[in-house]
Amino acid sequence: MKRLIPYPTPVGDVTFKVTGAQLDGRALDLSMVSQQDRVVALHMAGREKWREARLEIQAQIPDIELANGPWTEVVCVAVLTERATNSRTVVRLRPWSGSWGGTAVVPRGAFRARLDLTLSVVATVGGVAGRVVATAQDSWLVDLTARVPVRQRELDINEMDFRDGPHEWLRPFRDAPWLVETSGDMPTIHLNTGFEGVTELLGAGSDPTERAVGRLLATQIATDAWTAMFHSAVSDLEVDGDGVPQWPSGWRDWVLRSMLPDILPELSPADGLLEIHGRRSESSGWHELQPLIQYAASRRAHIAKNLGTVIRVLGRSGRESTG
Amino acid sequence: MSRRTTDIPPQMALLSDTVAVKHLTRGVLSGQEDPPFVALVRASESVGGTQSRWSIEPLRHLLEEAQRRHSDVGRAQADRWLAPRLHATLRLTRAEAAEPALWNYLALVVAPDYVVWRHRSGGDGPKAGLVTAERFCGLHYKQAFARLWWTAELFRDGSDYRPVEIAGRIPDLINTVLRLDVVDHRPTARAVTRLVEQGVVRTGRELNDLVSAVNVAGSTIMYEVLAPDEGPDPEAVEYWISEAEVAPPVPHEKLPEGPDDGPIPARSVETLSSMFEKLYAEVPRRGKEPCPTEVERPRGVSLDKPYSPTWRA
Repeated sequence: MKRLIPYPTPVGDVTFKVTGAQLDGRALDLSMVSQQDRVVALHMAGREKWREARLEIQAQIPDIELANGPWTEVVCVAVLTERATNSRTVVRLRPWSGSWGGTAVVPRGAFRARLDLTLSVVATVGGVAGRVVATAQDSWLVDLTARVPVRQRELDINEMDFRDGPHEWLRPFRDAPWLVETSGDMPTIHLNTGFEGVTELLGAGSDPTERAVGRLLATQIATDAWTAMFHSAVSDLEVDGDGVPQWPSGWRDWVLRSMLPDILPELSPADGLLEIHGRRSESSGWHELQPLIQYAASRRAHIAKNLGTVIRVLGRSGRESTG
Repeated sequence: MSRRTTDIPPQMALLSDTVAVKHLTRGVLSGQEDPPFVALVRASESVGGTQSRWSIEPLRHLLEEAQRRHSDVGRAQADRWLAPRLHATLRLTRAEAAEPALWNYLALVVAPDYVVWRHRSGGDGPKAGLVTAERFCGLHYKQAFARLWWTAELFRDGSDYRPVEIAGRIPDLINTVLRLDVVDHRPTARAVTRLVEQGVVRTGRELNDLVSAVNVAGSTIMYEVLAPDEGPDPEAVEYWISEAEVAPPVPHEKLPEGPDDGPIPARSVETLSSMFEKLYAEVPRRGKEPCPTEVERPRGVSLDKPYSPTWRA
């Protein structure tokens, strides 16, 4: 996460990758490290009881810029964290022929399921030692339980203060609790930490009422997200020479494939795509589709189920406080 | 109370959140009813082993002793006594301790009476006499037993539990500090208890000022680089856990010994405690204004958050 920082930071990119992994000294098959998704799958069939994994990390940082700027005592560290186990390991990398490299050790007992691997450049700047002057844009996921390196997550969730955060474009929305952005490679839900209480409510503890309300809020956000993603996917459709819409790629593909059967249940997905594109570009019958799009989005967000649960919980706590 | 140990199986088990929450009725939260043990035991799963560390009898003894000792001096004082002893009795890896179902079982099946005794609210409001549900089934810094176990785990100095006891001198410490990511670094946690030990911070309010300052500075300063720690030795933890088979019950008067997984480097603790003392000295005093009890929440996006699954395809 980027924020306003009261000291100079380099402009050059910081990137890193996991170049290899070992489980108890045996090299993992390369297929278990996905450079594209930035995921390492550490589960090896037949080795349920492994004790220690080692990850080879290689980083590129703007060495020349750092050497010529106000930064001294530059170190490059990889940081492994897992919220559930309160575990945090920091590994110093060493400069080595134009890049930085090192090995992170993951002992089995200290971690549970999924670790975040990030990379930071730390330096002395303005007389203060240990300043984090740069952090890699993308983090890696180390999954201890997966056999295949894929990300389970299809949406980015970005928590930041809309008013005081670094994104200028979010400022006009400072009183909005959340916004859905569908422009990038990955749809993003921007959650406004400046809207007091929203993140706490979503991460609500174990009080059943609080949790139910938190779920309801999550459902509402999810409904917004699905609706926005659908509209975005339909409006971005490309057509071939004959005017036939093509299936998009990435998230737009799975949004359309999962929602179309709810919107036009009598049509096959391919026919549904043709129909929906036709209705939108000719503006005939597009309005009639809106309730169906809403319905499909609410289904994907499990709105009926979550609202029903909240009503039950509220009813029960109401009875408890009166009786 | 001890009759319960004859009613339930002799081993710890796992009770899922879904089942646990269902049985947190008003009667259970007020201590007027016992949770339905038979149904809960039937709904629980095995921990996957029969080692003596999973035995519930020593845990029951410990919890009854904690109540006996602190019935007059105040139940909040029990945390400080119990945390290291619970940690040394229920010997777990962090991966095991991160399983909420284990703590649910301990709270609902093994010792609901302790949870009610320790956490029942006073006063005469609508919630008077009730325990909040999160003490039975909740996050690691809220749940009645998880919060003690993790306090001991994060504040101990290798096998030495003294810093845990020092941490317990300020009851608010568990509530405010345990949730912060900065204490996941051993020298940072030790530097905070060092300032408590030296009397630099004495009250919950002073502690809040200190940890807020440490946490805010920690967003731009990487304490791990300033105060390196090779980290605990995982094999020593494994050995200590296996020793549970032959270890006697934990002492009640003296502190038990924890896993000998390496002391925290003294120089790193020195570096940070003098740095934190400076940060604390720079905190503007707020005079008579009420002290905010909330400290900055951990940053970042976690996949473990309960609201992420709804957004999947």
